Amino acid sequence: MKDFTIFWGCTIQTRFPFLEKSTRMVLEGFNLPYRDLDGFTCCPEKSLVNNIDHGLWVLTAARNIALLDKAGVDLVSPCTGCVSNLATVNSELHANHKEKDKVNSLLNEIGLEFKGSNKLRHLVPFFHDEVGIPAIKNKIVKPFNGMRIAIHYGCHMIRPSHALKNDDPLDPKKFDNLIRAMGAESVQYMTKLLCCGQGLDRVDQHENALHFARIKLRELKALKVDAMALCCPSCYLQFDNNQFLMEKEGEKFGIPILYFTELLGLAMGYKPEDLGVDSHRIEATNFLEKWNRLNCELSRTTELNRQLEEGFGIAQP
Amino acid sequence: MESLNLKLLEVCSRCGACYHICPSCLNLEGYDPRAVIKDILAGTYEKWLHHKSIWQCLECHHCLEICFQHYGFENAMAAMRTVASKKGLATSQVKRGWDMFIKTSRLGEPMASARKKLNLPEAAKSGAEDFKKLVKIYQEKKKSGVKRNES
Repeated sequence: MKDFTIFWGCTIQTRFPFLEKSTRMVLEGFNLPYRDLDGFTCCPEKSLVNNIDHGLWVLTAARNIALLDKAGVDLVSPCTGCVSNLATVNSELHANHKEKDKVNSLLNEIGLEFKGSNKLRHLVPFFHDEVGIPAIKNKIVKPFNGMRIAIHYGCHMIRPSHALKNDDPLDPKKFDNLIRAMGAESVQYMTKLLCCGQGLDRVDQHENALHFARIKLRELKALKVDAMALCCPSCYLQFDNNQFLMEKEGEKFGIPILYFTELLGLAMGYKPEDLGVDSHRIEATNFLEKWNRLNCELSRTTELNRQLEEGFGIAQP
Repeated sequence: MESLNLKLLEVCSRCGACYHICPSCLNLEGYDPRAVIKDILAGTYEKWLHHKSIWQCLECHHCLEICFQHYGFENAMAAMRTVASKKGLATSQVKRGWDMFIKTSRLGEPMASARKKLNLPEAAKSGAEDFKKLVKIYQEKKKSGVKRNES
């Protein structure tokens, strides 16, 4: 596997450092060749920078990508927005040589050149495609058998597909495959691909942001899921923080929001508090208790089967 | 965005296939991108620059993915936001975010104390200094380009 760097983005390091913690723990658990790279800026955030100055949006992203060209490493990010923005600019510059030359004439003045020759990937498709399901299954010591988990993909993990090219943009499967590899049921639901709506919180429309969070959380509450899984700090903010705010106002949902890396870390046997699961605003206590109980039952069943095999000599498949 | 493709938008104004997948069309009352597009085509879009609708496009790219032109009305909404921002009509959070981005190159700084508590390594250095240099060069080139076009 080629060396890669992690693009943490602004939100994880500013607001949710525990998500960085769980990401590092699983990367190290799989002994993956990653390293930190100095010099990154904001990706930059499309809905903010591109709305105001398209040229600067392209230039800033191109500068971040040029740092990869200089270091000769791929990029992986646990933030959907960062990957989507960088990949969109990458694809725009590959398709438009005039624009690429213009960008490079500016980057040359600070000693950089955009080539865009390294892979830019989100952590979820990276684990699916590069680490692979069999290797993941090998690392799992405490599976989620019997747990019902609802996946929220996050728009920018998969769209725009012409730039990301990592899953079906309207019927994605990779995150589902990973959750199933950890033993859980991936609960299918009507609003699965609905945008989280967090963007509205960034344009002074908090009530509308809550409206979006409520739609999904109400459906998941009715379906009695054990948790929601996602891998985007913005979606995390929407469903953990805004769920907490709505609960304070009286509407109870009780749906813990677990990051992909936290679920994987738990299944690999790491302690919830070491992964930072205790830093969430919506507590995961019920989820963890049920999971522990099911694992006790699972190990008792395994023990029973072992005794049956010994006693009667029945070959188990 | 550099410019809008009015030919594609003309088709958008009569299509609306993406209304069945756009999260804001489905869930926010009064959100109607085709009304905006029709006004853009007629040259009477001024009123939308002050309207909350143009900030309600979530840039989820659903419209882009199902659009047979691979265009989607997200382009029209982004154009309206750009023009609104130029006229100082961006929402206050957008203005704050932009200021922070230009000043620091990021939308926040790593929390040193929390990192220590979590036993995380020191955060990698940001590229703020290089970024500021680049922005200066970019803005100077942009200004001289505008002057060239005017003369």
